[in-house]
Amino acid sequence: MDPRLLIGPSSPLGLPAPFGFLQFFKVLGFTLHMVPMHLWYAGVIVAVLLRGQRHEHAQRLGARLIKAMPIFIALGVNLGIVPLLFTQVAYHRVFYPATILMAWPWLGIPFLLLFAYYGVYIYASALRKGGQSFRPLPQTAGWMSALFFVLIGFLFANGFSLMTRLSDWPSLWQNTSVAGAPLGIGLNVGDPSLWPRWLLMFGLALLTTSAYIALDAGFFGSKETEGYRRWVKGFSWKLYLIGILWFGATGSWYVFRTWPPELRQQMTSGPLGILFVLTAISPGLVWLLMLAQMKRATRSFALLTGIAQFGVLALNGVSRQVVQNAELKAYLDVAAERVATQWSPLVLFLVLFAAGLAVLGWMVAKAAQASGRPTPAG
Amino acid sequence: MHYPWWYVPFLTAPMLIAIVSVLHVIVSHYAVGGGIFLAVETRYAYRTQNRSYLAYLKEHAWFFILVTVVYGAITGVGIWWTIGLASPLATETLIHAFVFGWGMEYVFFLLEIVSAFIFYYFWGRLEARIHQVIGWIYAVSAWVSLVLITGITGFMLNTGSWPRTHDFWAGFLNPQFLPQVLVRTGGAILLAALYVYLHSSFRAKDADLRKLIVRRSTRPVFLGVILLVLGSLGWYLALPESAQANLAGASVLNVLLALALGVLALILGTFYLGPYRNPGWLSPGFAILFLALGIAAVATGEFIREAVRKPYIVYNVVLGNQILPEEIPRLRKEGYLEGGTWTKAFIARDYPQVLSNGKVDPAKFRALSEADRVKVGEVLFMHHCNDCHSGRRGYSAVGSLTQGWTPEMVKGLVREPEKARFAMPPWCGTEEEAELLSKFIRSITPPHPAGMYYGNGR
Repeated sequence: MDPRLLIGPSSPLGLPAPFGFLQFFKVLGFTLHMVPMHLWYAGVIVAVLLRGQRHEHAQRLGARLIKAMPIFIALGVNLGIVPLLFTQVAYHRVFYPATILMAWPWLGIPFLLLFAYYGVYIYASALRKGGQSFRPLPQTAGWMSALFFVLIGFLFANGFSLMTRLSDWPSLWQNTSVAGAPLGIGLNVGDPSLWPRWLLMFGLALLTTSAYIALDAGFFGSKETEGYRRWVKGFSWKLYLIGILWFGATGSWYVFRTWPPELRQQMTSGPLGILFVLTAISPGLVWLLMLAQMKRATRSFALLTGIAQFGVLALNGVSRQVVQNAELKAYLDVAAERVATQWSPLVLFLVLFAAGLAVLGWMVAKAAQASGRPTPAG
Repeated sequence: MHYPWWYVPFLTAPMLIAIVSVLHVIVSHYAVGGGIFLAVETRYAYRTQNRSYLAYLKEHAWFFILVTVVYGAITGVGIWWTIGLASPLATETLIHAFVFGWGMEYVFFLLEIVSAFIFYYFWGRLEARIHQVIGWIYAVSAWVSLVLITGITGFMLNTGSWPRTHDFWAGFLNPQFLPQVLVRTGGAILLAALYVYLHSSFRAKDADLRKLIVRRSTRPVFLGVILLVLGSLGWYLALPESAQANLAGASVLNVLLALALGVLALILGTFYLGPYRNPGWLSPGFAILFLALGIAAVATGEFIREAVRKPYIVYNVVLGNQILPEEIPRLRKEGYLEGGTWTKAFIARDYPQVLSNGKVDPAKFRALSEADRVKVGEVLFMHHCNDCHSGRRGYSAVGSLTQGWTPEMVKGLVREPEKARFAMPPWCGTEEEAELLSKFIRSITPPHPAGMYYGNGR
C-alpha cells in the first residue's frame, strides 16, 4: 500500500503563522527542552551510579545532581510543551496517525514520567535526611526513575521515528487493528533507525550532563572543597569523552547504516554539509574547553563550557529538523500548507514571552543574590 | 475520518479523556487556589510576624509543590496526550485556532514553576518583601493560566461567532468564557481550603495554630461560593440550546447534576458547622472526608460539563465522531468509507473489488458475501459510532442499547440517529452504507430478554 493514502487533508484553518516561524519556535523550544531533559535522561543514572561508589567526591557529586533533579524535571516538562505544540500545528498530518498507531505506549509516557518524578523526589528527600534512612526504598526509587526515564526516551524515539517512517504504517496498522481501527499497541521496533536514534539521544544527554557537572563545579560549587572541584573537573572531562565516543558511534550507525543514500547525499553536500560537519564535530570544542578548564579553572571558562554545549544542542536541533523535513518530503510537503496568520495573538504571545523572560530574569537574579545567605534551620 | 480511530475495547477512547481530566482537575484547581492562599497568608504571617504560622506555610508550600508541580503538571500533560489520541481532529482544530493561547499559557506556566521553586527553596533567604512578591507572581501566573485554558474549554461548549469569523478573539472570548472563569476561580478557592484542612490536620500539631489556619483558610470560601454560584448560573444561561436540552433530557446527567448540587450543599453546610463555627473539630478523618466530597463535586461537575456538548466535541465545529459538519453533505453523497482517509485505505486494501475508478462504489457492496458485509459494517461502526458507544458490551454498548430491537428499528435509527436523539450526530454515509452498519449492529444485538411477562398468558 502506498503510505501516502494514509495522510489526511490539511487543516482547513491553515497554519496560524508562517511555517518558518513555527519551525523556528519548534527548534528553539526543542533545544531549550533538551538541556534539562538530558540532565534527567542520563543524569539520574549517572547520579545513582555515583552514589553507589565508595569515593567521597563521587558520592557528593551524585547527591548534588539528585538534589537539583526535581527542578530540572519541572523545567524540562515545561520546556517540552513548545516543541510539541508547534509539532502538532505544523506536522499534525503525520504526528497524530503515528502516535495513534502506538497509542497505549504513547499514553504511558506521562504515567511513567509521574512515577519517575516522584521516585526522584523520594531519592532526593532521603539524601536530605541523611544516610541512615537511605535504603532500600530510595535506592529502588532512584533506579526505577533512571529506568523509566530511559524507557520514556525509547517511547519518544518510537513516536518521532514513526512520524517520518510512513512506509511502516500500513503493516503496523494491519497487524494491530480491529475493523480498520488501530488498537494502539504498535511499536516501531522494525525500523532500523529507531535504535541508533534512541541511543544517539542518550549519548547527547551524556554530553550535556558532563558539561553541566563541569559548569556546576566551576560556577555553583564554590562552597565545595578544592579537592572536590578538582576531582569533578577530571570526572566530567572523562565522562564527556565517553559521551563523545557514544555519540560518535551511534551517530555513525544512524547516518551510515540507516539513512537512505539520497538523504546522506543531501545532508553531506552543499550548505547542509557544513551543518552536518559542525553538528558532528561540535562536541570536540566543548571537550577542549573542559580540558582547558582542568588546567585553568575560572567561572568564565565554566560559563563558556555551558554556552558551547548549548551550541552543540542547537546544532543538533537544527540538523534533526532538516532531516525530519527531508524524510517527510517523499510523502508530503509540510511547508506547503495555507497560512492564515493570527497577527494579534501572535504579537501578544511574543510580548508576553519577552515580558515573561524579564520577570523570570528578575526572579532568578533575586534568588542568586539570596543564595549566598545561610539556609534557615527547619 | 482524517485520522485513524483508536479502538479501546469496552471503554471507548474518549472515556480515557474523561478519566485523565478528572485526575487532573482535582489538583489543577488547588494549584490556583493554593497559590492564592500561600500568597495571601505569607503576607499576613510576615505582617503579624507570626513565626509558627510562617513555619507551617513553608511546610505547606512543600506539600503544594509535591502535589501541583509534579502530579498537577504531569496529569495536565496527560490530558493533552489523551485528547490527541482520542480526539485528533478536535485537537488539531483547537491547536490551529488557539496555538498562541497555548503559547501564552506556556509562558505563565513557566513563571509558575520557577516562582514556586524560588518561593519554597529560598524561603528565609529572600527578603520578606521579595518573598511575598514572588508568592504573588506565582498566584497571578496560576490564575492567568486558568483564564487562558478556560477560554479554550469554554469555546468547546459554545463557539459563539467563531464559526463565521474564525477570529481568535471571537473564539477565545466566547459566551462561556466569563462564566467558566468565575466557576473555576470559585472552585479553586473552595478546593484549596479543603487541601489546607487536610494538610494542617496532619501537620499543624499546635491546636491554636491549627485553629488560626482553619479560620483564615475558611474565610475566602464564601467568596468562592459566590463566584461558583454566579458562574454556574452564567454557565447554564450561556449553554447552547442543545446542551441545555441534554442536561434536561439525559437521565444520567439529571442524576449527576442532583448529585453535584447535593454534594455541594453538603460541603457548604459542613463548612459552616465545622471550620467556620467550630474550627477545633478538624481532625485528619474529617479533613479526608471533606476533601473526598470536594473531589466528588469537582469530578461530577467536570463530567457534566463534558457530557452536555454531545453530539459535538467543539460546538458546531467538530462532531464527536471526528467529522466536520460541512463534510456531511459530501459524505452522504460519496459515502463515508470513500470520504475517510483510513476507511478508504482499509477498503482499498481488503476489498479492492468494490472500487470503481479508484473510488469506493457503494453499489458494489451488494456483491460481497454476508460475512464481508457485516465486516464492512463493523468498519463503519468503529469510525462512525465508537467514539460514544462500545460494541457488544461495555460503555454505552450498542448491543445492550438495541437489545430486542427489530431490524426495521435498527435501520431507522442508523438512517436518522439525530432524530431519535439529538445528542447523536446525523448519519454521514450513503443508503447502502446504512444497510451495512445496520447489519453489523443486528449481528451484535442480543434477542429480547427471555422470561418477561406482558400479560399474554403464563
